[in-house]
Amino acid sequence: MRGPLLAAAGGAMGGAGGPLARTIRAKLTAALQPTHLEVRDDSPRHGGPPGAETHFGVLVVSGRFAGLPPLQRHRLVHEALRAELAGPLHALQVIARTPEQWQSDPHVPPAPPCLGGSKR
Amino acid sequence: MRAVVRSGWRIGAAAAAAALRGRAGRPLSQAAGEGGGAEGGGGSGSREAVERLVREHPVVVFMKGSPAQPLCGFSNAVVQILRLHGVEDYRAHDVLQDPDLRQGIKDYSNWPTIPQVYLNGEFVGGCDILLQMHQNGDLVEELKKLGIRSALLDAEKDQEKK
Repeated sequence: MRGPLLAAAGGAMGGAGGPLARTIRAKLTAALQPTHLEVRDDSPRHGGPPGAETHFGVLVVSGRFAGLPPLQRHRLVHEALRAELAGPLHALQVIARTPEQWQSDPHVPPAPPCLGGSKR
Repeated sequence: MRAVVRSGWRIGAAAAAAALRGRAGRPLSQAAGEGGGAEGGGGSGSREAVERLVREHPVVVFMKGSPAQPLCGFSNAVVQILRLHGVEDYRAHDVLQDPDLRQGIKDYSNWPTIPQVYLNGEFVGGCDILLQMHQNGDLVEELKKLGIRSALLDAEKDQEKK
């Protein structure tokens, strides 16, 4: 099921994405066994060229989040991507839901517009 | 404050700037120095320095740019959400002005990105989490615990909770 996150992404979602997108997808899959996962390269919306792979948004739907408050869910995602966040990944939007939450509310808020001038 | 919020963004921004001019308008190295000087080996990014900053005020935000002029969409989202709730009086620290603080705040919270929001000295999350708290009513409750009445309680009688 292709969720609204992809629809909102605009043009940055060709195929499997670049190498960082694939790494993010692989690591989140291994760490969290998501039932649904969307990885979006937002770099073009932050002034980078397509494929810059510096700003990402992820939607992770996983039973591992059950019982965890949002902060802890996001920490699990960060932990899985620790090396990337210490390196080329400058910004990471995270939406973390349990399968039940995703089923009852398959909507995500739109990403905030870039205001430019953002460095890590 | 509520009237300011309803009057429009520009007035709100001016009010925010006025509220913060004594603090966030200056380079943080100056602000940290004012706070009592360096203690031991602690720079502006040390645990002790960050601890002082997060406890300065019930609402403390580490962001890129300032509330009057955010330099990042995620930081701006935090500012706008707080503004919606009528929260204009808070401490905002521009990490772009202070590389030591920029790293120090990430080490302190073990959180890799900016912005970071602290309520009552406690890290609550970044832009995504604040937005979620805003949407599900949790932010109104957390502000109430700090003795801050959200402007939305007056603006909307039917605050939806999921």
